[in-house]
Amino acid sequence: MENKEIELRICHMYPDLLNLYGDRGNVLSLIRRAELRGIKVKLVPVSIGDDFDENDFDIVFLGGGQDAEQNVIRRDFVEVKGPKVKDAIEHGMVFLCICGGYQMLGNYYQEHDGTKIECLGAIDVYTVGEDVRYIQDTTYEADFLKVDGVADSGKLYGFENHSGRTYLGPSVKPMAKVIEGAGNNGKDGFEGAIYNNVYCTYSHGSFLPKNPRMTDHLLRIALKRRYGEEYELPELPTDCEDFARAALLRYKEKGNTAP
Amino acid sequence: MASLRYHFAILSAKATRLALRIMGRGATTLPGKVAVKFDPLLLQKLCSGRDCVTITGTNGKTTTTHMITDIFRNCGYTVVTNVSGANLLSGVTTSMIFGLKDMKKAEKAGKKVICVLETDEAAYGKIACQIKPKVSVVTNLFRDQLDRFGELAHTRDLIAKGLDTCEADILLNSDDSLVSELYKGREGRTVFYGLSEESMHYNNVTYPDKSGVLPASSDAEYCTGCRTKYTYTARSFGHLGAFSCAKCGKTRQKPRFYVEYDLSKNPSDEGYELSLCDGGASPAKEKRVKLPIPGMHNFYNSISAVAACVRMGEKIGDTEGLSFEKCAAALEHVEAAFGRMEKISIGDKKICVLLVKNPVGLDRALSFVAGASDAEGIYMLLNSNIADGKDVSWIWDVDFESKEFPEKVYVSGDRYGDMMLRIVYSGVDRSRIIAKPMEDCAELLDQAISDSTPGKCLYILPNYTSMLALRSILVKRYHLKDFWK
Repeated sequence: MENKEIELRICHMYPDLLNLYGDRGNVLSLIRRAELRGIKVKLVPVSIGDDFDENDFDIVFLGGGQDAEQNVIRRDFVEVKGPKVKDAIEHGMVFLCICGGYQMLGNYYQEHDGTKIECLGAIDVYTVGEDVRYIQDTTYEADFLKVDGVADSGKLYGFENHSGRTYLGPSVKPMAKVIEGAGNNGKDGFEGAIYNNVYCTYSHGSFLPKNPRMTDHLLRIALKRRYGEEYELPELPTDCEDFARAALLRYKEKGNTAP
Repeated sequence: MASLRYHFAILSAKATRLALRIMGRGATTLPGKVAVKFDPLLLQKLCSGRDCVTITGTNGKTTTTHMITDIFRNCGYTVVTNVSGANLLSGVTTSMIFGLKDMKKAEKAGKKVICVLETDEAAYGKIACQIKPKVSVVTNLFRDQLDRFGELAHTRDLIAKGLDTCEADILLNSDDSLVSELYKGREGRTVFYGLSEESMHYNNVTYPDKSGVLPASSDAEYCTGCRTKYTYTARSFGHLGAFSCAKCGKTRQKPRFYVEYDLSKNPSDEGYELSLCDGGASPAKEKRVKLPIPGMHNFYNSISAVAACVRMGEKIGDTEGLSFEKCAAALEHVEAAFGRMEKISIGDKKICVLLVKNPVGLDRALSFVAGASDAEGIYMLLNSNIADGKDVSWIWDVDFESKEFPEKVYVSGDRYGDMMLRIVYSGVDRSRIIAKPMEDCAELLDQAISDSTPGKCLYILPNYTSMLALRSILVKRYHLKDFWK
């Protein structure tokens, strides 16, 4: 088996603090779809005070947390790990960042009262907090995931829960078009951000489980980066995930069948 | 004038109930809602001069309320209590209005009356000032419908607000770092309950938890004061345990009421025994009892219920009738409420319903089922109505990976796809799972029951609105009496 020596090293940043709305499901998805392909997975939690060295990892996951928790990590993330994280991003390290993690990579977060909280500035986006919170199911369409002949291959399903409005600078591309939901800011019709190999989204919780092609995309670019362009991610069925996607579509059509 | 207002309010509640009954509907909250419109301070008037206990927190409210009620009744008290779920101002008021007759009758006969009221944690600040409880139990704080409640610190502050509007003796969970800090500024009236630290240590070392791929998402890993990571010498479950902060010195308080236990026996089994202790006396009092409702989380519910009754006895001068020995003994006779681990026989088959509403509740339920020797099938239902929380991503916060699933797995609810995927991702083979949409949940229940073997048990884990649906299916299809009203 050629995959025998293939290894994926996942860095789970601040798992003890940034663990809101089921974000750990994303890490479980990366692990599952890698291990089913015979890829050896090494999962390393990196929290406050722990060293971050980009040479140790192939993919970094950064989730969202409660305000109190995000304040705890901000100094460690921006000041201590910050320069190394920025370098890793410039070198093409694969990142998946959700909600609070997404906002923290940006330039700043402006609170309701106008106070600006300085963020990492690794990608050219900024966020403005507003009163109305977007809490709803979402559907997006991402061109880079489209596969010819697979009807909903470009569709991403999620659930958003954020009061921040994020605006992208010229060096950053949106991740997807919004079909249902608010997306980055409720105005421009786009969701998330892509910069180098950094993927950011407001989609919480079971984002990767229900979007296996996104999971595979991240695995593919992370492993190609490590093992070279010739590396091919083995085929793996998506039948369980497709069943869940079909069930979700059914729910979206019918709504709650409340007693 | 006030009196007229009061009588109008009561009358309006009665009329509302009558109308609802004619329409064939339950009347657990609306009568109170109407009555409060006539008299906004009605609850205060109903509670005035009466001895009230309130129970609030994230998990265990209903079971603890139920236990306290049964203990008081077994000790000869007349008890008025509210129906599970009816724990907002409207529901509590409704229960008090319709309990008036019993209370007055008992009071006339010179019998002792107690009101045992479950109160929603987010509404506690607004309700406690009217109830003015003599004893207030805070169970625990875990993440629960964050879209509705917001952050945990906020919920804790709402409870604190309620505690400051009354002079209640406060019973706090010593093992919950978020709950226990409510004692600050309320030292003189706080009593702690929890698990024995020695027991936690012993069981952690001897019978450690199975670990999954990733630790479950935890709610309180860092000290709320100085933001340093807590050190734990032992844990019971979730963030509950013997914690301390190396920097600011904040640490678990030694509880007066505590549980000594041994996990070499399985707390999922009926007849599991543990020791309830009152360290308030010297030497400490200890009473060996059978856990009335199985599951390790019921250690906490049991000790807090006994503590609340004993404390009430001390407060109202009935230390004889509500002695520690009597309360602990009375606990053994408590029976489970619907959706709270009650085993129900259907012909020669058995089912057991465990309501699961939030991550730690689901974690405890899965752990319980994994440990139950009679578990043959599990039926999970996940809805996402407003009362459940629209966001179902919390199922990913639970450590399914470390739990063993029974042989047969059934899944339904509006979000059956999400739940099916969660179970598959934890390592259960897809071929073991039958997943059907909510419309088919009754047929799936038929199938699950007919698949099961006599002597074994089908464990059903619904969330809130799917439990309501399930209850009505059991009443209609299986002719069980609607014991839940």
